[in-house]
Amino acid sequence: MTGAAYSVIIYQRIKMDNYLPVLRRGFINGVSITFTMAKVIVPFYIVIEFIKKTGFIAVISDFFKPFMQLIGLPGEAALGLMAGYFINLYAAIAVIAPLELSSKDITIAALILGISHSLPLETAVTKQTGVNAWLLMSVRVFFSLLSGVILNVIWKLFS
Amino acid sequence: METVLVALKDSLILSVKLFFIILPLSIFYEFLKGRDSKLTKRRFAFLGISGSGFIPLVTGIIIGLTYGAGVIIHSIRTSNVGKKEAFLILLFLSICHAIIEDTLIFVVIGANGIILIAFRFALAIILTYIIYRSRIFGTPEE
Repeated sequence: MTGAAYSVIIYQRIKMDNYLPVLRRGFINGVSITFTMAKVIVPFYIVIEFIKKTGFIAVISDFFKPFMQLIGLPGEAALGLMAGYFINLYAAIAVIAPLELSSKDITIAALILGISHSLPLETAVTKQTGVNAWLLMSVRVFFSLLSGVILNVIWKLFS
Repeated sequence: METVLVALKDSLILSVKLFFIILPLSIFYEFLKGRDSKLTKRRFAFLGISGSGFIPLVTGIIIGLTYGAGVIIHSIRTSNVGKKEAFLILLFLSICHAIIEDTLIFVVIGANGIILIAFRFALAIILTYIIYRSRIFGTPEE
C-alpha cells in the first residue's frame, strides 16, 4: 500500500465524524443512567432520613448487630446491604450515605456490595448465558460476606 | 418538613456527584464497545479462559453484568465457548465486575478504591483458578 493510501486511512480513522456519534451515545447513556439512579437514590435517601428519626433503624441494628460485628460493620449497615442485595447499588448508597460511617466501614460495605448486588436482576442475566445461575448467586452471597470478614480482619491487623 | 428538604438536597448533591463519575465512564464505554472486537489475546489462559472468552470477560470486568449483559450473552452464545469455560467466565465476573463504576460510586461516599479493586481481582483470580484446576468439571485440557 502506498503512503498516500495510508494517510487516507489514518485521516478516516481520526475523523471527528466517527467519534461524534459515539460521544453522543455515551453522553445520552450517561444522562439516562444518572436519571435512573437519581430516581432510586432520592426517595430512598428521604425514607432513610425518616426511618432514622423513628428509631426503627435501632431495632434493625440491634437485630443484626451480632452478625454485623463479624464483618466489622455497625448494625444499621445491614439495611444498606439488604438494599444492595435485593435492589441495586444506588439504593444501597442512598441508605449508607446518610448513616455517616467511617471510611473503613464504607470500604467493607462497598466490598461486600461490589461482589454481591442487584441479585434478582443479575441472576436473571446470568441465567441467559446458560450456566447454573443459582449456584453462582450462592457463590456471590457467600464470598461477599466472607470477603467482608477477611477485610475486617486484615484492616484490624494493619491499623 | 425540614427533614425532607435536607434529605432532598443531600440526595440531589449525591446524584450530581455520581453523574460526574458516570458520564465520562459511559462515554468511555461507548468508545470501548467499538474497539473490543480487536481484543483476542490469551491473557487469561491460565484461568481456563480462551481467546473467544476474552471479550465477554473484559466487557464484564469493565462494564458490568447489567449494562454489559447484551455483549456477554451474545458472545458466549455465538462463540465456541464451552459450558465449562462459560461457567469460569461467569464465576470470575460474579466476584469482579463493573470494577470501575462500582468502585468509584463508593469512593464518592468515602471508600478506599485501591483496596476494593485489589481485593476483588485477587479473589476472582484465586477462585477461578481453584475451580479450573480442580476436577469438578473433569480434567483441565492441556
